Amino acid sequence: MHISDGYIDPATAVVMFAVSIAFLALAWKKVKADYPQSFVALLAISSAFVFSAQMINFQIMPGTSGHLVGATFLAVLLGPYAGMLSMTIILLMQAFFFADGGILAFGANVFNMAIIGVSSYFVIKLLTRNNKSPTRFASSLFAASWLSVVLGSLAAALEMSFSPAYASAGGITVIVPAMLFYHVLIGLGEGAITMTLVMSLQRLQPAIMSSLTIMKGKIK
Amino acid sequence: MTIKKYAIATLVLVVFLAAFIPFASSSPDGLETVVSSLGVQPQIIWQGFMSDYSVSALGSGYVTTLLAGFFGVVFVLTATLALGKAITKKSQGGSEKP
Repeated sequence: MHISDGYIDPATAVVMFAVSIAFLALAWKKVKADYPQSFVALLAISSAFVFSAQMINFQIMPGTSGHLVGATFLAVLLGPYAGMLSMTIILLMQAFFFADGGILAFGANVFNMAIIGVSSYFVIKLLTRNNKSPTRFASSLFAASWLSVVLGSLAAALEMSFSPAYASAGGITVIVPAMLFYHVLIGLGEGAITMTLVMSLQRLQPAIMSSLTIMKGKIK
Repeated sequence: MTIKKYAIATLVLVVFLAAFIPFASSSPDGLETVVSSLGVQPQIIWQGFMSDYSVSALGSGYVTTLLAGFFGVVFVLTATLALGKAITKKSQGGSEKP
């Protein structure tokens, strides 16, 4: 779901940079000096894993693929604010070294994938409020992951629709339904992968999982 | 000890990539499909160093994608370790307890 340069208007790009920087500043304030030393390995290794997993595109229909974003996975493991910073680093490395996602469009990509992505944390909290069973947790993971991809694609569609480049093709009335059409399907992949990863981790590494804030009562 | 842990993690992720890259779809993703169907082209203002996850000196293909993946894993690990260092509590080693 990476926006390349030229897909959005420069003015939109600037606005999205400003919005994303505001969220990142908030996240930075929230995570500073808040984590134990033992957290560093989980942060680094889960981020590197998400980078790798993003390289593996899965086919959703002939001619079109999708790939994991991984922000829900990171938000569950790291919490929403460290997850947002981790996802931003992944996007930065992708843009800088691999030209995956534009440089001008970086702010928009951070918003669509890192910021909207980690909002899954709060969706999961909301969905598991009255029921802490593993089944409820797994289905909430799936739903929140799916929703984050669909909302991210909606945000990308709206950002692109401000660009006059799409006007002749129909603009917003064409971009929004087209983006939602593909990402409703890609989101199913995100949901299935995230749910499988987190539930396997819970089975294999219950100590890590039980220490996470998402498993506790209070939203940090 | 710590370095060994990250070396093992890197190795595991490279093995993961080695196993899955052959099955990865080369079709454009949803956003690319939409944008190109609407006739909009990307404007290249930054080429990156390994554009499209391939090391240009080695052409494109399995080995070069795997190599790009290896570099990416190392870059992300390094950057997030720096982030981790910045956000963890400073009082470590037990000597700073009041």
